Amino acid sequence: MKKAETVYNSKKRKGDKQLGVLFNGGKVRRRREWRGLKDTLYDFGRWLYLWGIMADASVSRGFVQGMFRYRWMANYLAVPHMLDKFTMGMRDEPLRITHTAMDFVVKDVAQCIKNSLRGDRRTGKDKAYSDTCVLTDENAMTAFMMGFPMLNAILREVPCMFSANLLNQYSAMHYLDVAQEHGIPGDVCPMPEAEAGMSIDDDFPVLGKIAVQVNTTCDGSLMGNGLIAKRLEREYGIKTFQLVAPMRHKEEDVQEYAAQDIKNAIAFIEENMGVKWDWKAYFECAKRVNQTTRDRWEWLQINSTNYPQFIGSVFSLYNDTNYMGNCGRSAAFPPINEKIMKLVHQGYERKTMMAPEYRHRCIVWGVQPQYVIDMLYWMVNCWGVVPLTDMLSMVIDKEIAEEDTPENREQAYYDMAYLNENMIMRNRTHGGYKVLVDELWELCERMNADMVMMWEHMSCKALTGMHGQFEEQARERGIHLVWVCHDLCDPRVYTRQAIRDQFNEYMRTVMREEPLDPSIEVQPDDNAW
Amino acid sequence: MRDLKYLTYFENLLQEANNELIDQAKKDGKICVAYVCENTPEPLMNLGNAFGVRLFAPNTGSMDVATYYMTSLLCETTRALLERAIEGGYNFADCVIAPDGCTMMNRCVENMELLRTMGEGNDSFFHEYMEIPLKADENGVNLLVLQCKNHILKPLHEKYGIDISDASIRKAVEEHNEVCRIIREIGDMRKERKPRITGYEFHVLTLATYVAPKYLLIDKLRETLEELKTRKPDDTEYRARVAVVGSEVDDIGFIKVIEDTGAYVCADRFCFGSLPGRDVIELNDEEDALTQLCRSYVYRGQCPRVMNMEKVYGRKAYVNDIAKEYGADGIIYEQIKFCDPWAYEKTVGSVMLRDDYGYPVLSVDRPYNISSSVGQMRTRVQAFVESIEIKRLQGGAK
Repeated sequence: MKKAETVYNSKKRKGDKQLGVLFNGGKVRRRREWRGLKDTLYDFGRWLYLWGIMADASVSRGFVQGMFRYRWMANYLAVPHMLDKFTMGMRDEPLRITHTAMDFVVKDVAQCIKNSLRGDRRTGKDKAYSDTCVLTDENAMTAFMMGFPMLNAILREVPCMFSANLLNQYSAMHYLDVAQEHGIPGDVCPMPEAEAGMSIDDDFPVLGKIAVQVNTTCDGSLMGNGLIAKRLEREYGIKTFQLVAPMRHKEEDVQEYAAQDIKNAIAFIEENMGVKWDWKAYFECAKRVNQTTRDRWEWLQINSTNYPQFIGSVFSLYNDTNYMGNCGRSAAFPPINEKIMKLVHQGYERKTMMAPEYRHRCIVWGVQPQYVIDMLYWMVNCWGVVPLTDMLSMVIDKEIAEEDTPENREQAYYDMAYLNENMIMRNRTHGGYKVLVDELWELCERMNADMVMMWEHMSCKALTGMHGQFEEQARERGIHLVWVCHDLCDPRVYTRQAIRDQFNEYMRTVMREEPLDPSIEVQPDDNAW
Repeated sequence: MRDLKYLTYFENLLQEANNELIDQAKKDGKICVAYVCENTPEPLMNLGNAFGVRLFAPNTGSMDVATYYMTSLLCETTRALLERAIEGGYNFADCVIAPDGCTMMNRCVENMELLRTMGEGNDSFFHEYMEIPLKADENGVNLLVLQCKNHILKPLHEKYGIDISDASIRKAVEEHNEVCRIIREIGDMRKERKPRITGYEFHVLTLATYVAPKYLLIDKLRETLEELKTRKPDDTEYRARVAVVGSEVDDIGFIKVIEDTGAYVCADRFCFGSLPGRDVIELNDEEDALTQLCRSYVYRGQCPRVMNMEKVYGRKAYVNDIAKEYGADGIIYEQIKFCDPWAYEKTVGSVMLRDDYGYPVLSVDRPYNISSSVGQMRTRVQAFVESIEIKRLQGGAK
């Protein structure tokens, strides 16, 4: 079997060394983590900053009414706790990277909440604003909005379902129950099922003049969209367009089809919103998308060394927000990227580490619940296993045309199709086994990984359909494959500790190792936000 | 009713994937094109010297090995097919064509390929994966044409020298239509108040047309049609007439279980059923045959994965139309357990058919091989039939 070289931290960790002391089984931690004076002050400052973002959102139009109208809104009280999940054990640059990235993600989601409630027919009731809004899916790559700077793309499932679940692992349960009472079986992916349940429960804000849906990640998402669109069209008179992202997205012979449907989507928006596509705006966005791609590859390059800096759930969450929700449309992202880049380089040069030692270099693969649990940071702190990158972060790998020329205007439709096809998750779970299985092993080679932590989302048929292949091929290649089963946003099926226990078991029984920090091997946080 | 002369013969064809007609066709030197999804234009697999066979796995028992490869949460159809492939049950195939339709079926065929379950000793053997349009529109037609060229016609021609000319396609469509006309004519007999054919018998005939070479089947189909024209129906009334809608029904026992409760399956709107699977494909002389064929598949298809809203609403309207045409008293929406597309379609369809169209609806999931849950299924169908009867007695709406 492969074995990564153990890397030892020459610096002694300041502050708390046994992180288990922070947990007492309650909703919030016993106390904040002590990280030494400088880092604790920094961390506390950012904690206050988060409350500032929330306070700002709370005085926005429709917010108070929204708090009473929508069940999911109350989850946002747990925002600061969510951040704590992602900073466990962190000091120096990684702490600052995480805060810089996540603060911006929180700000972005807060803006989405403000926008959603402002235009909502029940709360903010700003019809003029609502008429400038195009509803899109949570998992949609919003490339088709890059040339519409005069319009607002509202990914309303992000604040209602996706982010709410990062804050409170139980947030989706009610909607899952609603969907299942309606007749949808319990074995489909709980993510689109919860979204469908939210629609059935009529708990989405209602805004926008039109909606563009995409067959995002899987058959479940595709099918759930039909149910949601029915309500949008028939009850609220919001016309919907279904944009196709081909399944075999690596094949040349599907690209024209995909590009043509991008054209159709743009024509639909132009016709219904009474606006014209703006090429200048599009190519500005394209430049930002390319910059993001280059930055991400550079971060990954550093992660392939002995001193990774930008890792874990925040790495993928930031990419998710940056690529998908934003897709180059916001000028605010590049400066954040620059800040992160500076910190990443600084941390690498100073050989900053997040644990006393790194024993294993791990690729995190599969469909992940890592946003609702501190798993990836826990792995570093408890077992010295560094998550170098994850499947959701392995998205766009080529740059798109960014100069406004007649040829590039035609190419742009293909580029938007490319972005659309390469939405997170679906670019790996669909497109044939090569992108899911073969490229994982290539990535292990490239990043010098000796371990794969495989999130086995039990309801994700695209992933579990390759279960045996993963197992056999990992064995052939001498790679430790740790299966960690979960049911995404339904913690009733696998609790946080049940998830961690699978990893613990592998480390103890197969690797025969002892934890770096035994105090968090069992972590009483099942009730925690 | 008097037994159909060839019923046992047709039933026997459904007892194993490698049935006697496939064996005979192979001895005739024919090329067997195996496929797995109804969205693949069937006549293209019957061009020239080739014959198309839809893979199925009758009498499935244990699926342990396939479950290891794909886990217990993948739909049983895909696991049953993979298990059968691993067992060597599809060694008659000369190639497999798999649309990336539903994810699970795609994974099933990918596992077949990676495990090298077929094609031993045949250097020309190939697997092809196709993209299938997700919307019923002209863009989708163009896509399907290109996909058929690249993933069916080209490899068939290059590997096996199959004639893929326009004339060859037209000939294959005509032969296909002949089967469709017979099945449709027989199927129309189900509209009668006292039908001359049971839903079970009809399903046996229809399924046989998918899993056996058509050119070897056609004579017995013709003869059966003639026999049915003069067949005397039973004098008894059925308790309720139902349309069955949903995932593929490979196990003929499922229809039998329904009919054993006194119900009559008057319409079959499931994958690889006759509606719309056995609709005649009309070709004109103005446009090339391939484009027309693909257009027919794109627009007539009732696959739940087609996502434009005209189709989403249209699928329910289609069920309403056939229910009216075939005189259904109620609808049974069924799905293979763990099938995502039909899980959602069944839910939305059940609600719409009940609320918008006023039908009593039974919504069930089922295993691939019904013998593992006959009791539960019978109880549910019986209760449904009784509820329809009670409504009728009370003079209620449908």
